[in-house]
Amino acid sequence: MDAGGNSDLDLDKYDSDEQVKIICLGDSAVGKSKLMERFLMDGYRPQQLSTYALTLYKYTTTINGQTILVDFWDTAGQERFRSMHPSYYHKSHACVMVFDVQRKITYKNLTVWYKELREYRPEIPCLVVANKIDADMKVTQKSFNFAKKQGLPFYFVSAADGTNVVKVFKDAIQMALSYKRNSSDFMDEVMRELENFDLENKEESSDKEETQEEKPSSA
Amino acid sequence: MSIVAKRCGVKFTPPSIIIIYENKTSGKMRKRVIPVRNFSQYSDCSRAAERLKHHVRHSVYLECVSLAQLERLHLLLRDHLQGASLEESLAAHRHQEEEEDLNKLSDEELSRRKAQMDDLFQRNRRRRGDPDFVYDLEVEFGEGSVKETCSWDEEQSDQEF
Repeated sequence: MDAGGNSDLDLDKYDSDEQVKIICLGDSAVGKSKLMERFLMDGYRPQQLSTYALTLYKYTTTINGQTILVDFWDTAGQERFRSMHPSYYHKSHACVMVFDVQRKITYKNLTVWYKELREYRPEIPCLVVANKIDADMKVTQKSFNFAKKQGLPFYFVSAADGTNVVKVFKDAIQMALSYKRNSSDFMDEVMRELENFDLENKEESSDKEETQEEKPSSA
Repeated sequence: MSIVAKRCGVKFTPPSIIIIYENKTSGKMRKRVIPVRNFSQYSDCSRAAERLKHHVRHSVYLECVSLAQLERLHLLLRDHLQGASLEESLAAHRHQEEEEDLNKLSDEELSRRKAQMDDLFQRNRRRRGDPDFVYDLEVEFGEGSVKETCSWDEEQSDQEF
């Protein structure tokens, strides 16, 4: 089962055309997991990977006749420290940032999340989601400047009654695919070189044999 | 006797907590008025709620009522004693909840708070199989209209970049 876990967290698979990684960000209890569950309905089986403090949701869809495999990465409590491990961001193709319309601090903290996101993924599409509108429909008559200022798409949603939930995730998948087709992935190449560097260092200092065969890296 | 609290509220004069509960044995709904004694506009609502929660006679009716909810009811009573209207009191509490930072809570406290939020979530939830369920429910929220800026954006933010 460890091997299965490892292969699921093998980030190289995200280089293939039909595989996308979408991450969720936001404070505790804004409803990130409830949104995922509403989108996936009864068909989902989340993988709780406690070693990495994340929950992995798998989803398959067909777009323009091509099967697309989507990995949604959700935090599993790590967001309380308001910072995620770099591997959470690595090779992600889109980000869904969520706040709770009943708690101002979760909206204000979007700037913290956004700043960290852009440190690791300067270019990927980011969708801003205002959740729990069922609790206070009057908020849908307000405009929220954070998304406007950053030029990010904005959605009023409710994980409880389902309003706009499916739209958010379908849009996220479309934007992720569009990003993959158009980006140079320069940062991914840099990260790959850094990973190889770390690996080479580890090999020199460790007596253990390398379990996985190292991919040859191009000069 | 098996008692499940269904609704709760307050009576201002004299200060009381009201519980509408179901008697599981008889299946009947009943009302219980619990006077809040030795309570003034200066009382510690958290402590008063805890005393009532563990009161020898009243605890059986309050088993399903969370401590946090009891505390909120005591806050309403105290605000009333201080001369605030119900609307003012509710608005003030709403503001307090807006400022709540759950990232700073312990695991246990966070779980408790999430359970409270879940009450509203379950009440508003639409599931597959419900008569009015729509999987891909899309609603436009006046994209064309001029919207009022949310008050959360009006103040200066240190984190702007």
